[in-house]
Amino acid sequence: MSTLTTPPPTPAVPTRTRAAAVRRRRPVRRRRADGRGGPLTRWLLGTLAVAIALLWVFPIYWMISSAFLPLNRLRTPDPTFFPVDGTLANFRRVLADPSFASAFRTSIAVTAIVLVASLVFAFLAALAVSRFRFRGRKSFILTVLVVQMIPAEGLFIAQYGMLDDWGLVNRVAGLAIVYVAAILPFTIWMLRGFVAGVPIELEEAAMVDGLSRTGAFFRITFPLLAPGLVASGVYGFLQSWNEYTLALVVMTDPGRRTLPLWLQGLVEANRATDWGVVMAGAALIAVPVIIFFLAVQSRMTAGLVAGAVKG
Amino acid sequence: MARLDPGRDTDVRTLRIAAAGAAAALALSACSSDATGEEPTTGDGGTDTAEITLWLNGTDTPDELRDYLVETFEAEHPGSTLTIEEQDWSGLVPRLQTALTSPDQTPDVVEVGNTQSPTFTYAGAFADITDMYDELGGDDLLPGFVEAGSADGALYAAPYYSGARAVFYNKDMFQAAGVEVPTTLEEFTEVATTLQANPPAGVENFSGFWLPGQDWYNGAAWIYAHGGELATKDGDAWQGALSSPESLAGLEQVQTLFQSATNAPVDADSNEPWVPFNNGEAAMFSAPTWARWSIDLPQCNAGVDPDDTSDEAKELLAQQQACNEEHTGIFPLPGVDGGVAPVFAGGSNIAVAAMSQHPELARDLLRIIFGEEYQTMLASKGLIPGNTEYASAMGDDVYSQAAIAAALDAKLTPPAELWADVEGQRILEDFFQEIAGGADPKDAAARADQLITDTLS
Amino acid sequence: MTAPAPAVRVGGRPPGAAAPPRRRRRHLGVYLLLVPALVPIAVGLGYPLVRQLVLSFQEYGLRQQFGQPARWVGLANYAELLGDPYVWAVIGRSVAFCLVNAAVTMVLGVALAVLMARVGAAARMALQVSMLLAWGTPVLASLTVWQWLFDSQYGVVNWLLADVLGATDMRFHSWIVEPLSFYFVATVIVVWMSVPFVVFSVYAGLLQVPTETMEAAQLDGASARQRFWGITVPMIRPVLSVVLLLQIIWDLKVFTQIYVLQRAGAPTRDTNLLGTLIYSYAREFSMAGALATVVLVVTLALTGFYVRRMLKEDEL
Repeated sequence: MSTLTTPPPTPAVPTRTRAAAVRRRRPVRRRRADGRGGPLTRWLLGTLAVAIALLWVFPIYWMISSAFLPLNRLRTPDPTFFPVDGTLANFRRVLADPSFASAFRTSIAVTAIVLVASLVFAFLAALAVSRFRFRGRKSFILTVLVVQMIPAEGLFIAQYGMLDDWGLVNRVAGLAIVYVAAILPFTIWMLRGFVAGVPIELEEAAMVDGLSRTGAFFRITFPLLAPGLVASGVYGFLQSWNEYTLALVVMTDPGRRTLPLWLQGLVEANRATDWGVVMAGAALIAVPVIIFFLAVQSRMTAGLVAGAVKG
Repeated sequence: MARLDPGRDTDVRTLRIAAAGAAAALALSACSSDATGEEPTTGDGGTDTAEITLWLNGTDTPDELRDYLVETFEAEHPGSTLTIEEQDWSGLVPRLQTALTSPDQTPDVVEVGNTQSPTFTYAGAFADITDMYDELGGDDLLPGFVEAGSADGALYAAPYYSGARAVFYNKDMFQAAGVEVPTTLEEFTEVATTLQANPPAGVENFSGFWLPGQDWYNGAAWIYAHGGELATKDGDAWQGALSSPESLAGLEQVQTLFQSATNAPVDADSNEPWVPFNNGEAAMFSAPTWARWSIDLPQCNAGVDPDDTSDEAKELLAQQQACNEEHTGIFPLPGVDGGVAPVFAGGSNIAVAAMSQHPELARDLLRIIFGEEYQTMLASKGLIPGNTEYASAMGDDVYSQAAIAAALDAKLTPPAELWADVEGQRILEDFFQEIAGGADPKDAAARADQLITDTLS
Repeated sequence: MTAPAPAVRVGGRPPGAAAPPRRRRRHLGVYLLLVPALVPIAVGLGYPLVRQLVLSFQEYGLRQQFGQPARWVGLANYAELLGDPYVWAVIGRSVAFCLVNAAVTMVLGVALAVLMARVGAAARMALQVSMLLAWGTPVLASLTVWQWLFDSQYGVVNWLLADVLGATDMRFHSWIVEPLSFYFVATVIVVWMSVPFVVFSVYAGLLQVPTETMEAAQLDGASARQRFWGITVPMIRPVLSVVLLLQIIWDLKVFTQIYVLQRAGAPTRDTNLLGTLIYSYAREFSMAGALATVVLVVTLALTGFYVRRMLKEDEL
């Protein structure tokens, strides 16, 4: 959290001053957003946060812990909380599976296309609906909302037929198209909320200061949207990374399966599922999620600061 | 073209009663389809060369058998190739619903689970192979599976393999409780109850026989054994048959087991019954015979890393397996008056896709699959082959003997077009859970019958 | 400071948060911005949805999928569904489940987002990563683990209750065999998986609140509570609205968690919600389509008032 040296722009302040204020925003030092409370409060809140984090992560801990255990110790009358005498065999078996690498590449390709396309397309649309008035605006917003209300379990038949007509079954592009379509309505809605959350006065003030509208937008508004883009991006990433049902029907060729399909394959790799191997596989699938997040998360906190620095 | 001899007598002794009707109808329709002039077939495989695809599910078909299919097919059809794609059982139905409708994407030959078979057969997803009936094995084909792959008197999906359930038991616990392998269903209940009443020291929640509440796969055997059915066909309409006196007799015996012979949770199903067995918390469980590979008793476990492929590790694993099998016995579930109870059969059918662009090559692949060599290979891998004539190749160890005994009498779910919907709505899971929870079998059966009848119509 | 701290209007509409778009000029450029999004939605989602709607007026099952002609039946599918008291019972359950889950998720999510904004970097990172793991681990694995945790025989929950906390009668407790207890477990899992999305979104929204505003308000003597309700909440209201709306929509359609728990051994008919009911019609596409339309109507009924208010207040 950074504190800025100038007061906020409000309609009560003359435009020029506000623009100046915006451009002069600058991180001074990290401190609590809330001025109240001493170190004790802060320590208590920190402890609470860590406790909640531990509680929340427990099922995942259990998954990872299971990945280190042989099958005969997974479900026993006395649970194993710490696999201290565990084995790496499950991880070795997953990594030795040649289809893991191929599924990994397919998933990366699909996810990259979907992420870029859905964020760019949704961003443009969110911009249009929250910064402009035009005929059909409300119908567009409502349509985008309503399509999300309809259960999509039965859509795969029609989606498959369409991709089949275009020769896109078993293609990364085919899967990416249906994913983008599925994720866009959500992303538009989310980004619309975030764009609406940025005071337009900030932009206008900058324009008064001589920036073009585009310039003002990219220098002022866009950096403030970074957290929203990250939040929506994480959603889009996870959706296409973990989606199963559509991938199941579109990618039938064993060489073109995505990671969730590969994971399901692990479940059935033996007649009796070796759950330790499945948990190891799932843990490895989650690794890129964490890497992706760590790569973008600094943008979340940097959002506010960036505008000031560039200004 | 192979043709059934219309005048030939059907051997009702080997075919199950219900299947006899189907076989007779097959004979008739084989005639008529010949008369209406199906496309001509060439016995030696046709002339076109192409790439064809076979979908096999899960890992039931070992690699060795897959290699044999590819090599044999490609040797017999120079210039053509066979690709085998492995599909997961859990995602098979949506994949078949889509891929089989596309001329470009359809696999040419597909394996389909026996309970899924009627749905796709009636829907028109498969090509009519009635004319191949005799060639593929005729009356030696597993009768229940022929029925599951037939619609309106024509054969669409042939039996691929079957696996049956048998009862695994802990020999040490039998000895400690002073009981012997039961020979009738009544005795089975007594043995299970005695075991339950004499848990090994220090074991909480012990089960004489592991029977979780939703385990209708195993529970159905009691209905079948008493002569009952899950559903029966009355004219054109299917009706739930759980309330028949025969079914109820079986259900009452199941309820006794639930009450006095098991501590398995009411909210669990037939998955992984060897877990409590391995933990020493159950003296018996019933499962497909391949469950022998999942038995892992603590006193036998050698602690070998599963990815250790050294000779030493292999030696240890062999010792471990021998130890497990020394302490574990297996027997087919006994019938009401001795003999073997008709248990619920697992397994699959195999069919030529209706949309296949190379039906002749696909049919030739079926011929290879139903050839003596491949059927024998299936049997040698512990699967009951579609053609029962070759089942003897399974070997004469106790597991194979139990498997063959159980499989030859095994029964399938009713071959109703909409049976898959009964499974989709999990009507039988709910029903057995009610029985396990102590509901009056008669009332529960009446309610479940109504749901089954509604669903099947 | 170069400008005097402005008076903070606690409780009033915050600057800009809900400011109406200013540019009312009509120019075609705006539509160009929409095209890239509209095309994939129309093709990849719109067409299949229309097709699903059409199917709901036909008799269309697997046979029709393999080429048999589909018969028009008008409203017969709808009549059959809505004439079945069981379907109404499932609708009732789903609405109740949805409202409880959406409420619990929102309260927890907002609380954790605020907490996240107040703690130091290390604690925040711990919270973020744990949330992300809960959200981003393949459901096949995470739901299997939940199933294990609540397992009657070997579940850690029963083990903790009995062997650690001494409630020995819970040792082999069956959690999912009674519908209410089933919905409790389902709620725990659904909330566990949905809260992270709310936390990340609301936290992102909180980052948009200019720190100066807060400080100014503080200088003006506004208490933390006043600042939260008077400034923070109104400023992140667009995000809150969107997130709440999406939670209601998603929780009404909830499928995977319920499905997996049912497979774990729950009584199916007594625990079905709309999502699993649609799935059980998997082979009768026309019925599934009709039920999907019913779900849409129920969702609109639940959210219509809210959406209209948003439209009026120009948050849309």
